[in-house]
Amino acid sequence: MDDVIKDKEQRIEDRTIIRVDVLVAIVFIALAVIVVRLWYLQAINGEKYKVFAEENRIRSIPVRAPRGKILDRDRRPLAVNRLAFTMTLIPEKMDDEKLLKRISELLEIPIDVIEERIESKRVDPLMPRVIKRDVSPETVAYVKEHSDKFPGVEIIDDPIRDYPRGTLASHVLGYLSEISDEELENEEPEYLLGDLIGKNGVENQYEDVLSGSKGVQLLEVNAGNVALRTLKKEEPDPGNDLVLTLDAEIQEVAERALQKGMDLAKKDGFKNARAGAIVVMDPNNGEILAMTSLPTYDPRIFSGGISEADWAILNDENNLYPLNNRALMSSYPPGSTFKIVTSVAGLRTGVMSSRSRFTCTGGWTGWGKRWLKWCWKRSGHGSRNLEEALTVSCDSYFYDVSYLIHKRGKEELQLWSRKMGLGANTGIDLPGETGGRIPDKKWKAEFNKAWPENQTWFPGDTVNMAIGQGDLLISPLQLVSIYSIIANDGRIPRPHVVKEVITTDGMKAMAVETEEMVKIDVPASDFKAIERGLKKVTTVADGTAAGAFIGFPIPVAGKTGTSEVAGKDDYAFFAAYAPVDDPKYAISVVIEQGGHGGSVAGPAAREVFDYLFGIEDKAGMKR
Amino acid sequence: MILGSRVRKIEFGIMFITLSLIVFGILMIYSIGAISDGDDPLHFAKRQLLWAFFGIGIMGGMVFLDYSKLKAYFPLIYGGIILLLLTIILFGKSTLGAQRWISIGSFQLQPSEFAKLAIIIALAAFLERSEGKLHDVKTVIQAIGITIVPILLIIMQPDLGTALVFVFILIGILISAGIKVKHLAVILIVGLLLVAMVFQFNILKDYQQTRLVVFLNPDIDPSGGGYNLRQSMIAIGSGGIFGKGLFSGTQSRLNFIPERHTDFIFSVIGEELGLVGGGLLVLGFFLLLTRTLAIGANSRNHFGLLLATGITSMWAFQVLINIGMTIGIMPITGIPLPFISYGGSSMMTNMFAVGLLLSIYARRFS
Repeated sequence: MDDVIKDKEQRIEDRTIIRVDVLVAIVFIALAVIVVRLWYLQAINGEKYKVFAEENRIRSIPVRAPRGKILDRDRRPLAVNRLAFTMTLIPEKMDDEKLLKRISELLEIPIDVIEERIESKRVDPLMPRVIKRDVSPETVAYVKEHSDKFPGVEIIDDPIRDYPRGTLASHVLGYLSEISDEELENEEPEYLLGDLIGKNGVENQYEDVLSGSKGVQLLEVNAGNVALRTLKKEEPDPGNDLVLTLDAEIQEVAERALQKGMDLAKKDGFKNARAGAIVVMDPNNGEILAMTSLPTYDPRIFSGGISEADWAILNDENNLYPLNNRALMSSYPPGSTFKIVTSVAGLRTGVMSSRSRFTCTGGWTGWGKRWLKWCWKRSGHGSRNLEEALTVSCDSYFYDVSYLIHKRGKEELQLWSRKMGLGANTGIDLPGETGGRIPDKKWKAEFNKAWPENQTWFPGDTVNMAIGQGDLLISPLQLVSIYSIIANDGRIPRPHVVKEVITTDGMKAMAVETEEMVKIDVPASDFKAIERGLKKVTTVADGTAAGAFIGFPIPVAGKTGTSEVAGKDDYAFFAAYAPVDDPKYAISVVIEQGGHGGSVAGPAAREVFDYLFGIEDKAGMKR
Repeated sequence: MILGSRVRKIEFGIMFITLSLIVFGILMIYSIGAISDGDDPLHFAKRQLLWAFFGIGIMGGMVFLDYSKLKAYFPLIYGGIILLLLTIILFGKSTLGAQRWISIGSFQLQPSEFAKLAIIIALAAFLERSEGKLHDVKTVIQAIGITIVPILLIIMQPDLGTALVFVFILIGILISAGIKVKHLAVILIVGLLLVAMVFQFNILKDYQQTRLVVFLNPDIDPSGGGYNLRQSMIAIGSGGIFGKGLFSGTQSRLNFIPERHTDFIFSVIGEELGLVGGGLLVLGFFLLLTRTLAIGANSRNHFGLLLATGITSMWAFQVLINIGMTIGIMPITGIPLPFISYGGSSMMTNMFAVGLLLSIYARRFS
């Protein structure tokens, strides 16, 4: 009995031990699961989580590089950076209506405009939103004094473009504006939303040179996204400065001269003379000394972000698109200024020599009586050689020459036009250049695809072209280029506006490639023959620009042009170079709807030459 | 000689493990430093040290007390704790949407911590009569009844996690009290049905539902509901094998880990001490739990055994849930890691439990 009891107790003990062992096993399994999981997280995936942890704590903030300056050839500043203040708002406060209302009242910007600005900018959700760039110092002081009223509003230093000479050379300089979504996709990856990028002008053409490269600041942030310290800072590489070939003083004179030319045109009754261009170039090397286009705009309105109203004004057709640089973006039938090309073609094809004479009776019927064409002087010029024809700009002479060329059937007027660089870009280092148009059979057929009756190339097309009318189009820049070729005895200079690239401390940073000048295969004697005619234009009594150059002591080789544009007043042209024997300057002047080249474009050029050669007498402008 | 015999009666193993865990915990709390800028970085470490001394005092006191005497007071202990839990429902201080605290001076007590031990004592005392043969359905139901009252009161706070600890204490004690497998199965099935009902009738609060959803889909909302879990896993994972070193956990120092001196302290351990540190801690808990069960198995009576298994269930479940939630294998609940997490109520409760175990061990032969 005793044994039985003892045995029973023993069994209880065994069972208890078994139950305890079950609990030990459960505990072991549970803890083993934890260790396996730790192994998985820390040993197998440790590296992955290390990356996550670093991404958590490190914010990489790009540091924008200071943009390079733009200087004229004597290193006078044209576009620089000015320290400005940008007001930003942290994203957490974007929905604080009361705060936005206060900001709206302070900046005098409607609240919906502010809301649009801070929401439309699709920046990093953690980055402060730009409310306004270039905030006044008074506003900055007010916000700092009343910081309790403006929680989350931060003022940051943010340099913006400034233009010490105002609107001077604005078309050559270009302007800056915030990069668009589209550009962000297409441009180099280092651009970020909110970056400024060059639009138009050298700001655009030399964006890579000017923009420098960004630095980076690595910040350690806590879970509340508050920056605690800088872990590392890589300074940005500032952009290089551009030294232009432009001379600020010549530029200023050219801009004034163009305006005066337009005023003259208005006095003559050409009320629509509101647009034009002047290009001044060194014919020896293609350096652009001045390039002006009217109407113009003030690049300062882009600093700190252009308002929608200003943008609308700049893009209104009635304002003639002031952003366009007419010197190279517009092309026109150049009128009689083109006759030098016809001359070259005539001499080179051998249809005439410099001594060949043609008789002008006023009405030209070379192609047949049915196709009468008038010379501008309907009473006729009589018998003229090349020199004399150029002097008085006799149309009939060039009708005859071009008709002879036409009859050879090889489109040689077009050929020589192209040889002189027309119908193609000059290759200037500015964006948006047009190559103009040299019309020919192929082009005409293509252009009139839908009108088969208009596809034939007639002799009339050639003779029209010979005097710079019809479908021929050349830009003011091309115009100055072809006169430079004459000045240069056939060497074709490549026009350019950047002379050199320098570092911020003035050291040469980068060589600007200068191409070897191509020489056109025309003997110097041909150019001399043309030059003699051009010189008489400004110097002899019946020269078409004689009035403009009365009393001018330096010999000028030039040519006036007046071209007809359907539905508009005549366009006035003048192209020239001087001094004739040792050309230093070439110029082209275009005044849209300005009337006669000799009466408005010539005087404008004279104004520029007066300055260039230090002549005080302004007789040309006074008349 | 009296002292000598007492020394031999003391279970130095469990004391050593416990004190090591506490020192380890204080070291980690020290490493975490200030929770907010400008606070005293030693604030929590100093207070935890104070709690540890209190705890050691309680533990030491318990060695001299014959744990068997508690049996007689169990209705009093039970009644007292129920009253305390009721008080908290009526007057408690609310944090994070739950009323869990009673303030006494500058200290805050969490009665639900003490309630764990109270229920262990009550259940052990009640079930001792079965002497390891708990075949009587009525007794099982009574035991459930004893436990369900504090569970309901704690759910009302609401503190679902702590309430679940009670469920596991009950199950652990029932198993060691010799419940029939059949009865245990019925309890588990009924329990699962209750859980299903909780979901069916949308009894869970929003944040509780979020925690469960996040547990099931950890990547669902990394900056919202899933933030804590994600940051905790990044912390632990980035610790790698050897950790980033004390005071060097970026996730911890830069505030990415929430509640890092209490509920999420293991995330800091994993980040700063790596797999090695975390593994050693788990090993420490394994030794603690097996020592505890061994003391129970060697107890001179069933009361001691049931106390020890109840305590084991409590600690084991808390370790599993607490560490488990930081590594994404358990849903997130506010349960402290025994001896490690900052908190006075928890420390005193756990040290009282250690004292009980020492008392059981010292009296294993008499």
